[in-house]
Amino acid sequence: MERHRVEELWGLHIDLKVERSESIVREAIDRFGIENLAIAITGGKDSTTNLWIYKQVCDKFGIKLPVCMFIDEGDVFKEIKEFVDYIKQKWSLDIVCLKNEDVSSKAASIGDIIKVSSLNDTNKNALGEMGFNEAGFPFVPDSTVCNHLMKTIPMREFIIKNNIKSLSTAIRWDEQEARKEEEYFSQRTDPDHTRVHPILHFRERDIWIAIFKFDIPFNKLYKLGYRSLGARCATGKMSDIPAWMQDLEKTPERVGRGQDKEQVMNQLRSLGYM
Amino acid sequence: MFNILKKSKKDPRVVVIGLDGVPYTLLTEYMGRGLMPEFAELCHKGGSFSKMKSTLPEVSSVAWTSFMTGRNPGQHGIFGFMDIDKKSYEYIFSNFNSLKESPFWEKENIKTIALNIPQTYPARPMNGVLVSGFVALDLRTATYPERVFEYLSGIGYKLDIQARLAADNPQAFFEDLFQTFDKRKQAIKHLYDNEDWQLFIGTITETDRLHHFFFDSALDGHYFHIFDRFYKELDRFIGLMAKKASDDGALFMTCSDHGFTPIKTEFYVNRWLIENEYLKLNSVDNLKGITPQTKAFCLDPSRIYIHLEGRYGKGGITQDVYKALTDELKEKFSTVTFEGQKIIKDVFLKNDIFHGTYTDNGPDLYLLPNYGFDLKGAVNRDSIFGTTHFKGMHTYDDAHVFVSVPVEKDDIAIEDLASIILKHIK
Repeated sequence: MERHRVEELWGLHIDLKVERSESIVREAIDRFGIENLAIAITGGKDSTTNLWIYKQVCDKFGIKLPVCMFIDEGDVFKEIKEFVDYIKQKWSLDIVCLKNEDVSSKAASIGDIIKVSSLNDTNKNALGEMGFNEAGFPFVPDSTVCNHLMKTIPMREFIIKNNIKSLSTAIRWDEQEARKEEEYFSQRTDPDHTRVHPILHFRERDIWIAIFKFDIPFNKLYKLGYRSLGARCATGKMSDIPAWMQDLEKTPERVGRGQDKEQVMNQLRSLGYM
Repeated sequence: MFNILKKSKKDPRVVVIGLDGVPYTLLTEYMGRGLMPEFAELCHKGGSFSKMKSTLPEVSSVAWTSFMTGRNPGQHGIFGFMDIDKKSYEYIFSNFNSLKESPFWEKENIKTIALNIPQTYPARPMNGVLVSGFVALDLRTATYPERVFEYLSGIGYKLDIQARLAADNPQAFFEDLFQTFDKRKQAIKHLYDNEDWQLFIGTITETDRLHHFFFDSALDGHYFHIFDRFYKELDRFIGLMAKKASDDGALFMTCSDHGFTPIKTEFYVNRWLIENEYLKLNSVDNLKGITPQTKAFCLDPSRIYIHLEGRYGKGGITQDVYKALTDELKEKFSTVTFEGQKIIKDVFLKNDIFHGTYTDNGPDLYLLPNYGFDLKGAVNRDSIFGTTHFKGMHTYDDAHVFVSVPVEKDDIAIEDLASIILKHIK
């Protein structure tokens, strides 16, 4: 997206932001058909807001919400599981929970070494694909290897098996510099499908404004100071005050989270630098 | 057979076991307690065991580069793990290719095995074998030549431990620590026995990792049993390598790049600069949010840079106020206290501690803390002091060096080791 367009959309009033998101959702339903859509949910604030927008559109049309996909990467906060169960009941959701049990069952706790030889062929091939040729790896959700096995592989199988044409995720332009290039509809391969990003133009602050204005449910972990939720072992908090009361504009959102592409920074951070 | 023939007894050889972050005082204490009998025996047999100074900054990337080049940071150009781009203010990470000086074994064409020395990633071809140390990301890219990569990947060699485990699952961290240490020792022994070399350097970094998270247990405490087990294993390994070196008629050394001491509190230098109105950020994309009003900022661990006009895109400090500003900062930092104790031991000006062509790339001031006060360059903290799961911090004056022959030099610093090694080899 062009830079000036991003700035322009960021400047919109929250009601207009929601309206814009709803129009993206309507377009997705028109283009792909409701039965070929899926919504990725994580139990976090962004994906719940995204889901709420789908619900507004579907309620107006009197149709059922698309299937929701939840990935269990092997170290989910219990508060997230509880929250996902809660919105499942509240909004009568159809949620498919994906977990690569062949991998996760081999580790009793985080950090246990998983032998590649103990895995099934699908997972062995997946490791080969990424050029991994060591004998084993530690089970650390959010590490490069585990991300591939625990997230990418189950998601790929889910898309193929359910003939999903379009998967909606709750990414936002303001999350990181690289995201500013993203479009509302973005084609993906392996397998072929379209990513739909209805809330791209929301900033972190807008999410909280929407949550309180429209009474969208949110996870109680945010109240404890977490700004962004990922795998339990890879998520930290920098403050004990509720997320929405922190200085959102001047402190980074994902500081507690591991980021695969920033491996050097991650390694330095893990030893207390930066 | 082939290797035995190639290893000519006539060439003087040197074996160095690097012990990242192992303090002189800790080794002395452990020898006193009988925990390291092999090392104690080496010291009793003669040779020289002494305290050694690290570099300033006392971090691995800088200190090991001084070890490899025998030079001051002003000459080799490495002042930390990262710098910032002078226009965009984005972090730049230095690697092996950033060194302005080559390691002495490259310059002198000494056949060398160099395993796991920090700041040597990515590996490049050399006369010998290189296996990069921290921050190495990929084993293949970290290894020269290819056949050594095949060996290492075959034994499940690991570049580093998963440090993130420490806070969450100490048990898994310790398992990873001992497993990585085992593979490291296995690789060192294999390369020693099967490769041809005149200089052999194998570095253990598990020591530094253990210390960062658990140094409060180094003398007693909850995890002392881990230190006890680890250092006994380390002692056996040192004894074994010293014996091999002795059998081969080689000089044997161990050295560390800095010491360690427990943390009383962390001190967030950039937060202090913000609260004292030297640093003004308009966002916290790290230092990318620096405004033209900024007078000074800090990079890890405690490198203070003056926001000079002409040097930085948004810099507004002119040369005519430079001296007054550095004097003022020096004065103010010198008086910061925590629970009545002074945090900063010394504030150095650039020319006090750096010399050489690249001195100007170094910090304008460098803060050396008193023991217990860990200085940090993080920008995203909302208070000046804090504690975390890190329990150990680096020290400048408590690194160590052991050489199996007497060394005629007092007050050794890590950058002196290259000349000690070269003197023996040539």
